[in-house]
Amino acid sequence: MQTSQNAPGQARSRTRKALAALALFGLLLGACGNSGSDSTPESAAPTPTQPEVTQPTATEPATVPAGTQPTDATTPVGTTPVETTPVETTPPGPDLGEFQPIEGVPGVTDDQISFAVMGTGPANPLGYCLLECYKGGVQAYFEYRNSIGGVHGRDVVIGRTEDDEFGNTQVKLLELIEDDATFGIFAAPLQYPGFADVGATDVPMFTTFPAAVDANGHDNIYIPVGTMCVLCPSPMAVWGASLGGATKVASLGFGISQASKDCANRYESEVNKWGPALGMEFVYRNDDLPFGFPNGLGPEVTAMKEAGVDYIMTCIDQNSALILEQELERQGVGDTVVALPQGYGDTEFITSNAALLEGDLLSVAFHPLEADPGTTMVPTMIEWLTKGGHQINDYAIQGWLGADLAVTGLLAAGPTFDQASMVAATNTLTDFTGGGLVPTVDWTKKHTAPTEDEANRICASFVKVQDGELVLAGDDPTKPFFCFDVPMDTWTAPTQTSFG
Amino acid sequence: MLASFGNDVFKAVLQGAPPGTVYALVALGFVLAYKTSGVFNLAFGAQAYVSAVAFFKTHTEWGWPTWLAVLVSVVLLAPLLGVVLDLLVFRHLRTAPPVASLVVAIGLTVALPSIADVLFRFKPKGGQIPEGIAPKGNSVFYDAFGTYSFNRNELVAMVVATAAVLGLVALFHFSMIGLQMRAVVESPRMVELNGIPSGRVSAAAWALSSFFAGLAGVLIAPRFPTLAPLEFFNIVVIAVAAAAIGSLISLPRAFFGGLGLGIAIALFTTFIPKWSKTMSWLRPVQDNITPAIPFVVLFVVLVFVPSVRRSRRAADPLAGVDPPPSSQARSTDDDPKRVLIRRVIGSGVALVATLVLLTRGDSAWLFLVTQAVVLGIVYLSITVMTGFGGHISLCQGAYAAIGAFTVFQLADRYDVSVLGGMFVGAAIAAVVGALLSLPLLRLNGIWIAIATLAFAYFFDAVMVKFSWVGGTKDSGAAGLKVPRPVLGPWDFANDKSFLGLAVVVLALVGAGVTVFGRSTTGRKLRAVRGSEVAAQSIGISSARTRVIVFAASAFVAALGGGMLAMLEERVDYAKNFSPFAALFWMVLVVTFGIRTPAAAIIGAASFSLFNKLVLQGTVFGWILRDPDRTLFFPVDVKWQMILFGLGTIQYSRHPEGVIEMSRTQAGERRAKRDARRASRTVTEAVA
Repeated sequence: MQTSQNAPGQARSRTRKALAALALFGLLLGACGNSGSDSTPESAAPTPTQPEVTQPTATEPATVPAGTQPTDATTPVGTTPVETTPVETTPPGPDLGEFQPIEGVPGVTDDQISFAVMGTGPANPLGYCLLECYKGGVQAYFEYRNSIGGVHGRDVVIGRTEDDEFGNTQVKLLELIEDDATFGIFAAPLQYPGFADVGATDVPMFTTFPAAVDANGHDNIYIPVGTMCVLCPSPMAVWGASLGGATKVASLGFGISQASKDCANRYESEVNKWGPALGMEFVYRNDDLPFGFPNGLGPEVTAMKEAGVDYIMTCIDQNSALILEQELERQGVGDTVVALPQGYGDTEFITSNAALLEGDLLSVAFHPLEADPGTTMVPTMIEWLTKGGHQINDYAIQGWLGADLAVTGLLAAGPTFDQASMVAATNTLTDFTGGGLVPTVDWTKKHTAPTEDEANRICASFVKVQDGELVLAGDDPTKPFFCFDVPMDTWTAPTQTSFG
Repeated sequence: MLASFGNDVFKAVLQGAPPGTVYALVALGFVLAYKTSGVFNLAFGAQAYVSAVAFFKTHTEWGWPTWLAVLVSVVLLAPLLGVVLDLLVFRHLRTAPPVASLVVAIGLTVALPSIADVLFRFKPKGGQIPEGIAPKGNSVFYDAFGTYSFNRNELVAMVVATAAVLGLVALFHFSMIGLQMRAVVESPRMVELNGIPSGRVSAAAWALSSFFAGLAGVLIAPRFPTLAPLEFFNIVVIAVAAAAIGSLISLPRAFFGGLGLGIAIALFTTFIPKWSKTMSWLRPVQDNITPAIPFVVLFVVLVFVPSVRRSRRAADPLAGVDPPPSSQARSTDDDPKRVLIRRVIGSGVALVATLVLLTRGDSAWLFLVTQAVVLGIVYLSITVMTGFGGHISLCQGAYAAIGAFTVFQLADRYDVSVLGGMFVGAAIAAVVGALLSLPLLRLNGIWIAIATLAFAYFFDAVMVKFSWVGGTKDSGAAGLKVPRPVLGPWDFANDKSFLGLAVVVLALVGAGVTVFGRSTTGRKLRAVRGSEVAAQSIGISSARTRVIVFAASAFVAALGGGMLAMLEERVDYAKNFSPFAALFWMVLVVTFGIRTPAAAIIGAASFSLFNKLVLQGTVFGWILRDPDRTLFFPVDVKWQMILFGLGTIQYSRHPEGVIEMSRTQAGERRAKRDARRASRTVTEAVA
């Protein structure tokens, strides 16, 4: 009886408590905001560290990439002429910089400048060589560089190697940016958490192509050819398809990855836009494939076969491409050309699957080793990679390029450098080519992905699999790169060139 | 027209047969293990991987002839592994609840592949297709019908799977050993009373099921472009649907279930794209349903097939001779002085650690400690679900992901505060959890675990792909970036202040969970957990309590997921929330002790800090004043996985968890000491 009398009161009390809790919750929500959002006072918002960009002066060889425009070793720093000296007439020595004692700069002693290499090692679930190969490229370049005298009177060395074990990337990067013995970082992880933490410091970090999205907007993070617009339409893949003799094109992507979906859709729109001018049409897209193809690709390949597909653009990983190749072979359309997602330089991958991969095409972002090296650093790179017993693949080449840019940046920063000044000086380089290995990179612009409407020059080269080997896909081995000026409304043939 | 349709159907059936055979082989393995051991053996894929690696090493790399490689990897190694697992692990779990054997199986899923990699010095290599038993197995094709060809490896797998189902059915129906194996699962003591050594029968059962796993591993491997453990696990998860079709006990139904699953997927992928050209409403089905078929099938089977709902774990008539399951250790000591001393010491250690962290800890340490605190929130959701509710949920990662994605979506699209988004995400997850519990009301034990695993994979395969869940308003190109929160005058962009916020949230959630456990609802949960029928007899609605526990657990997990996104300033679904990653959580919490919130927090701390403190050699470096830690460190990641697996073996001996085990042991030691002291006092008094 008493209970029933009190029940309304208890209910009211509960209602009041609930209302009070709601009001408190509402007040809290009202007080909530997001750090860095417009509602946050400007002073409270964290400002990303923007290294001060120093303009190149006549006294700084900032625009002279190491190894490409060498100067006399005895020439004092700052007097090197910016104009290219013809190599045949007066072969000068390399720019070695100038030694001056420096204190308090992480990783720098009187003898050496120490870098760390971080990446995904044997735990890489996709099974390809990443950390080891990337480190091999860095190591090879450093050994080469030290053999000619180092930089600013010091050796460049790898002082620390960290395997992120495919899960500890952020922790490893946080450790490295606070490491007093590390000047800069070379990073080849499979995933990219922690890049924002590095971006908020002055620590220079050199990384790989797939990190383009996470490196975007960070002035101290360097992709070998600069940050790219991954969603902007580009005629390059269509040109690759024409090199592969495409008439009916398909694109494949994984449903689980937005980037992969975007890629497959972008290919469709690119072929629809430029394909007709090259005699090709887009006939099949599947941007919803399950990762790993647990159920195989039988029906999908049947559908492509029925649509007459003779060229497949892929936004899938190397292993999945192999499953695709097997199914094409099974259904009697093994001669369909597949634009492979990766695997450049992985000789074992190419040779052990030669029959399946025959005729397939690979897009290469740097001067292909199969092309005429000309005056590029390709022979030097191969020599030092071979000498060190390092595997030569695309990640090794990216490591080499990163190390080259690091040294070039150090030279540009001058003898009394630190991390911030090195980053600032590197960001003044307007024509870095890594000794002709990559198309010219303007580092005053290449930290931010260009927009779709922004004028931009894109270049790439192509190789194809032939009898278990890679051969150049273009017709002029001295000019392996094809370049387009984008945005491009109507089809214009690419310019063929070399940067060596 | 009709002929073309018929031809397409026939072709799809043929195309679905090879993957269907793979599912059937694995499903048969599941059923075999369940029938002969009573264990839902999620480690089947790991066992298969061990033999596949052994075969690859011996045959492909060392050049042994096929017959010898098969003899070593399948006929000898696989059964030996089964016997070892039985002796070391599963024999001790005969009377343990299903969660115990499931957790141990998950632990072995992680540990066995690493052990194989270390033993054989094997490193997965991309693009290296494993060879099969048949010579040129992947490159020689036979097209018997002129429609679709099979390669030699596929034909061998089909023949073996068919022979296996016939042989195993015969074994269980017509042989004495088959009958004994089933009998040992139900009551080892009854079997022993009849003079049959149950230990030997159990070992034989594990040897048989492990042999089958090894055979399946060698037959399946050529379908993968890389020999990697995850490939096997993914197949296993799909094959669970086929095993469920056989209710985990029927070999023929599991076989046809697997085959049917492969064929159904092939039919869908053949016809839906064709039909969606004229029927645009089918486009979303094409995009989203196809990869979800195995998980939808599994869920439908669990919910609608009566035999699954009715299935109960066989009760041993002689179970009474087993010691009762250990009760929860007393969380309080009788002696208030000792309690006070312990609390003072604990608080002092925590205070010193906090001071050291805040004054001398670098950003990596701050990150790890904050991660431990945030994961503590997520792990508390497992305490609610399994500790209080008694249900095994394998979809806590999906709930946490809902929290993280909601935080991101609301901040990205509507500029909503991330803290507000976190509560909205938690509310959404609670609704999802409650809705998920409804079709599972009649399921129990292992079936709830399987159903929640199906939901986790459904979320992974379908939901994450939607732009309003795992995408951005424009595209995925910018990544899923999440800002740190601001609360009034406090900006938590700074790592130290965010740690403070995380600690406050953990304290509030921990207090909430403790209060929840002691509340009327918590007591009802315990009552239902103890005896559902008895609880119902006193007016407690088991359905209602189940809905509440699912919702509360999902709410807590999503809070943690939201905080994790804020900590990392991005939503990293693959690393943090994928079904496989979330399996770790369950194992850790259960290993430390499922019934206390403290165990969840310690589990989270171990997850975050054990690697840095122990395996990276930090503690060792401090002790020996050797900052370079050159001796053994860092320990290879493979050994970390092996240690994790060994932890679950320890758990198999003490299913009450490490925390309760230590408390119990400490209590026993104290009791002995007190008894000795009392005895001495009496002796002295007498003297």
